[in-house]
Amino acid sequence: MRLGAPTDRVKLKVGIRDLYSLWRRRIEERRPFQYIVGCEHWRDLVLSVQEGVLIPRPETEILVDLVADAVVSKVNARLNDRVWADLGTGSGAIAIGIARALGSGGCRKVIATDLSSVAAQVASFNVQRYGLQDIIEVREGSWFEPLKEFQGKLTGLVSNPPYIPSMNIPGLQAEVGKHEPRLALDGGADGLDDLLHLCHGAASMLRPGGYFAFETNGERQCKFLVDYMENELKGSFLDIQVVSDFAGFQRFVTGFRQ
Amino acid sequence: MAASDSALWDDRAKAQETLLALADVKEKIKLLADFKTQVEDAETIVKLTEEMDAIDGGLLEEATNIIKELNKALDRFELTELLSGPYDKEGAVIAITAGAGGTDAQDWADMLLRMYVRWGEKQRYKTRVVEKSMGEEAGIKSATIELEGRYAYGYLSGEKGTHRIVRQSPFNAKGLRQTSFSGVEVMPLLPEESMDVEIPEEDLEISFSRAGGKGGQNVNKVETAVRITHTPTGVTVRCTEERSQLANKIKALSRLKAKLLVIAEEQRASEIKQIRGDAVKAEWGQQIRNYVFHPYKLVKDVRTGYETSDITSVMDGDLVPFIKAYLRYKYTMSSTTENLR
Repeated sequence: MRLGAPTDRVKLKVGIRDLYSLWRRRIEERRPFQYIVGCEHWRDLVLSVQEGVLIPRPETEILVDLVADAVVSKVNARLNDRVWADLGTGSGAIAIGIARALGSGGCRKVIATDLSSVAAQVASFNVQRYGLQDIIEVREGSWFEPLKEFQGKLTGLVSNPPYIPSMNIPGLQAEVGKHEPRLALDGGADGLDDLLHLCHGAASMLRPGGYFAFETNGERQCKFLVDYMENELKGSFLDIQVVSDFAGFQRFVTGFRQ
Repeated sequence: MAASDSALWDDRAKAQETLLALADVKEKIKLLADFKTQVEDAETIVKLTEEMDAIDGGLLEEATNIIKELNKALDRFELTELLSGPYDKEGAVIAITAGAGGTDAQDWADMLLRMYVRWGEKQRYKTRVVEKSMGEEAGIKSATIELEGRYAYGYLSGEKGTHRIVRQSPFNAKGLRQTSFSGVEVMPLLPEESMDVEIPEEDLEISFSRAGGKGGQNVNKVETAVRITHTPTGVTVRCTEERSQLANKIKALSRLKAKLLVIAEEQRASEIKQIRGDAVKAEWGQQIRNYVFHPYKLVKDVRTGYETSDITSVMDGDLVPFIKAYLRYKYTMSSTTENLR
């Protein structure tokens, strides 16, 4: 635009030398931009992220809308009993998203769990930043382990679990494969290990009429899960749907506990 | 006459409307009566000084002041008359897109960008370039400017259309004279809350930029872009300025609503549902102004006929005479059609 006077100064957050080394890491090591600046814009949030925490994906933004729509139309529990769980919360993105979307009128509590203590710390930080510490409780542990007291009582269950098949990991974009935590990406041989565990968990943890929504690696996994729930877990769920993401990939599996 | 008709009061809404229109007209009449009185006052003073032997400096000064204020008031009045559309008072969003002509057109689009930014700054609007897509070799593919301030939209709405440049192209290997085009679109900058309009989901086609490959956890992305098309009319908006899908979607929807509201107003449709899609398509291609750099220098507006050979000032943001000419032209057009009704 305009050329300023020679005496105009440009303010930088970091000195030129440091900027240069950060830039080198970005270009040469393919360190994700979000880790360099320490944050990610997601929905209407700015979330702190760092090595050891999965960077929230744009596709996952829809998960919050799916939850909000379900609550509006169907979820049928007394207000003060509404407890939601976000499993494998990472940065806390989904937990914070749904707490804000549902409001105190839509949910009393959101339990966000993660196996990684780094993730638990970052999630707690983000929860605090948005002033939601009275609604969202971060618990460190494996999947449903920290939630035993809610067996059969959860109003809703959401997750973006690791879903990439192990053998695909070396071939991933360097920003992802070489920098993001493997723990958050590796879903086992066909990527379904954790998703299947979640399906079983949904059957035992959700109250009747409770809602679940999981993100997957695409059409094959979605089809497999729907099939699995309708056959191996027959009678547990109804109204099982597959929802596409904005790029047209079948991405989410949702449904209700019978 | 209508106000004294007892049947008027049977329809409250219509009654309200008529009364408001009546109040409006009454106010205008009062204003004009005031102007008339002031003219008469000034006239009286001038006559007095002619009759007197000595010239009373104080009286003359009074007359001069009356006339000065009167001129200002008349200018303001004319402006309010010219800028009386429902969105004219709002800020504006300008979207520039390079058209036919390759790199030369992209450079032309960049020149237009600069022209509007300079205009905005000179007019003291808070001017921000919120989006800019660089051309591969030079210039820009597209850019979006937001201008905050009163009446920005009223002034700029006439800039909508295709702008054509004729010059010896610096991008032509033989330095030949070339014609290029760029499209300018203008929308009001409406605050989200003021747009009381819901567009049914099924009328919208929303697409986002693809991650490539399987997406999701497989990919790390920094950019997001949304394109929303209102299928019944074909009006499309693209937004890439914000940093999340949701934010881009919200902004794109907001821009789309603003565009549709303006088109509805232009077509005198009372609802977005009634917009004629074919009319929308036809308008986009309208050529409105020619900018010739070679072999002579001339900027000419094809609608009003207004022209100037001071192309340098125009490219530096001096658009006021063109804007005024267009506003008057628009006013004449609309009052003629009013009279024909």
